[in-house]
Amino acid sequence: MTKQLDLLDIQGNILRAYGRFGYPVARYVFLNVRNTAKGREFVGEITKKVTTSVEWGDGPGKIKQPDRTVNIAFTYQGLKDLGVPISSLVGFSPEFASGMKGRKDILGDDGPSSPEHWDPIWRGNRETREKDVHIFISLNALAGQGLDWLTVAEKNRDDAYAWLLDEINKTEGGVVLLDGHLGDDDANLNYQDVRVVLDNNGVPTPKEHFGYTDGISDPVFEGVPYDERRVKGRGKQMPGGTWAPLATGEFLLGHVDEAKEYPPAPEPILLSRNGTYMIYRKLHENVATFDRYLEEQGSKFPGGKALLAAKFVGRWPDTGVPLVKAPDAASNAKFGAQLLSLNAALNAAQKKGDKESVKSNEQAIDDILSDFTYDDDMSGAKCPFSSHIRRINPRASLEMMNEEGDKPGSFKVSKDAFDTPGALANRRRLLRRGLPYGEVKDRTRDDGNHGIVIMMVNADINRQFEFVQQQWVNYGNDFKAGNDKEIILGNHSMDDNFPSKAVIEADPDSDQPPYILSKIPRLVVTRGGDYFFIPSMTALRMIAQGVIDPT
Amino acid sequence: MSSNISGNAYALTILSPIKDGFTQDEIAYADIVRDRLQGWNAEHNSPMALVPQTYLCRYFVLDDVYLESLPGGSAIDTLVDWLPFVPDTLRRWAWPKEDHLKSRYLVFSCNFHGGPKADLDGYLRGMWNAIGDRIKEIWGYCHGFDQVDNADKFIDYMKKCQLTATLFFVGSNDDPLEEQLKALYLKQEFAKFAIDNQGLDAATVKTNFQAFVDRVRPSELDGPTWKAGAYRVDELVELKKNKG
Repeated sequence: MTKQLDLLDIQGNILRAYGRFGYPVARYVFLNVRNTAKGREFVGEITKKVTTSVEWGDGPGKIKQPDRTVNIAFTYQGLKDLGVPISSLVGFSPEFASGMKGRKDILGDDGPSSPEHWDPIWRGNRETREKDVHIFISLNALAGQGLDWLTVAEKNRDDAYAWLLDEINKTEGGVVLLDGHLGDDDANLNYQDVRVVLDNNGVPTPKEHFGYTDGISDPVFEGVPYDERRVKGRGKQMPGGTWAPLATGEFLLGHVDEAKEYPPAPEPILLSRNGTYMIYRKLHENVATFDRYLEEQGSKFPGGKALLAAKFVGRWPDTGVPLVKAPDAASNAKFGAQLLSLNAALNAAQKKGDKESVKSNEQAIDDILSDFTYDDDMSGAKCPFSSHIRRINPRASLEMMNEEGDKPGSFKVSKDAFDTPGALANRRRLLRRGLPYGEVKDRTRDDGNHGIVIMMVNADINRQFEFVQQQWVNYGNDFKAGNDKEIILGNHSMDDNFPSKAVIEADPDSDQPPYILSKIPRLVVTRGGDYFFIPSMTALRMIAQGVIDPT
Repeated sequence: MSSNISGNAYALTILSPIKDGFTQDEIAYADIVRDRLQGWNAEHNSPMALVPQTYLCRYFVLDDVYLESLPGGSAIDTLVDWLPFVPDTLRRWAWPKEDHLKSRYLVFSCNFHGGPKADLDGYLRGMWNAIGDRIKEIWGYCHGFDQVDNADKFIDYMKKCQLTATLFFVGSNDDPLEEQLKALYLKQEFAKFAIDNQGLDAATVKTNFQAFVDRVRPSELDGPTWKAGAYRVDELVELKKNKG
């Protein structure tokens, strides 16, 4: 029998990227616990409404899709102030205890990304007891079906928020809503709103503010019933070009991971099992700098601006098609046309309620966007080593070698050194949740309220998120790229003497030289965040009742 | 060829016993040695950066090495365990034996360019001449070092403390240090040249390349290059300025 997860015990935001399930709008709220008893009571009330991972739809074991989702997570101090015993607290990971601010050197949050420039809520966090962020609550809102989709979504969100405020008020000061999120014109808000980016006609898009399609290749792991068909390109690469779901323990505590071990987790097992860690990061996007840099380099890059924009990320901005499949504009146009007709067929099938046709069209779209490897692009001629998708999820591409006699800059798969193609990548995967925030009102300016709130989920913050951030985003040695950083997210040095650079590789068999991106500016700036623990439903009820006992 | 030599690279391992005593402040000599070594971290550069031909090195104080014999697993031991009338002293006799170091040691592990003749004497002489006072600061508490007051005695002393161990650091070839520093300098400068010249026509690149070669002087080791031991960004900036 294949592995089945206890969906009723796992919070819904772990297994679902709500945005993909029809929730284009969300509000994130952060709270400070002033009174342990009242705090627990509050957690108990919220828990009654928390959205689980149970399947949506008709039929046995399924529920109707909710108008709004509610999820809750805690920082280390939050758990402590809710009375989780010290003998349990010591079982959480040291980086979770220390928090994102304390890990700034590992994460490369320096210069404009350093904590003194973060939003006030994150500046105040972990400085004084009263300003500490203890509880995170996310409210995602379902969109309407018609033209008023956004109004419906916003009403769902406002209803959810009104309910939450009411619950906070009932604690009579035992739980306090924290402000300090910067909104439009630096307004000080007591929530962080996020929403999909709209195009000029107000139609929702899957894009972030630079214009790239986001969140395509989210990992797929064992035991998630609604992801079974999405494993190609999202699970782990296996010998012979097949794919398998990743081990559950890479993303959920209390389950066996890729090393056939249980990830380190606090006692008792009921506190940690089916729970996991979440990294919340608010990232501001310097759109004007991005546009200017792309323009400037695009005028020099032999392939032109559109191809260079694709090289930054590894996917074409207009279609999302990966460069390894469509290395030039002509092949991108071909895939683009295919995607258009597939999407049209998908829409028609959805309207008709033809489930089989929906499935097959979704599968065909998925195959174009996700089902690829770097096996035929080991030298990076199509998808550069420092592009976003190759750095975040290198698949099997790190098993690279250059033997004596090979052309300089030419790499091939190292066949015998590893027992599986994903040996170097399978333990560094991250579930990515979250949505863009704000609107770009003036593309000629960097400032303003626009960026992305990214929430990453993993079983081991240090081994997964921090490793990727430190070694693959802000350093390039694993990719044989020296100290080149990932182009979009890297904490590029703006030092005149040691500016950031990255190489756009050329085919070693051609007479083309590689193109070197020089003086890469900081395109993305950290505005705050912290590390959270997302407990299981069982653990939530135990935290609320104050009955956690590791002895 | 000795196992601590690889091509022109030499792996030197020194273990010097530290005297078992303490100061008036009740600080053990070994702890003073460790404190002083840790103090080197606070200096702008390690004194070892001044020692010619040093690739990489490491100092530490070895407090103890604890060895244990295999536990008794023979038929007799097992029998002894089972029999109720065997006296406790006999049982203890069958327990594993412990072995410890007789003193604490200063360990100096170093890779340097020894050349085709594996010139240890030359390297140690260079070390004494460059940082003799700093050496005395560290080795001064070691047994027998009070007699060392010149380069020859230092060489003799170090050879007595030498262990033939194959401790090679990864990250360096066996070229002379000056060659390696010049190569790193050229690599970095050439990357900048490539950035500045990409997309230009061949004739311009050729002219610029000539100017580049004239500036970086690839064949001159004492021309523009990196300074040994310089690893801080501000130092490299300083070097750039000096090169004009």
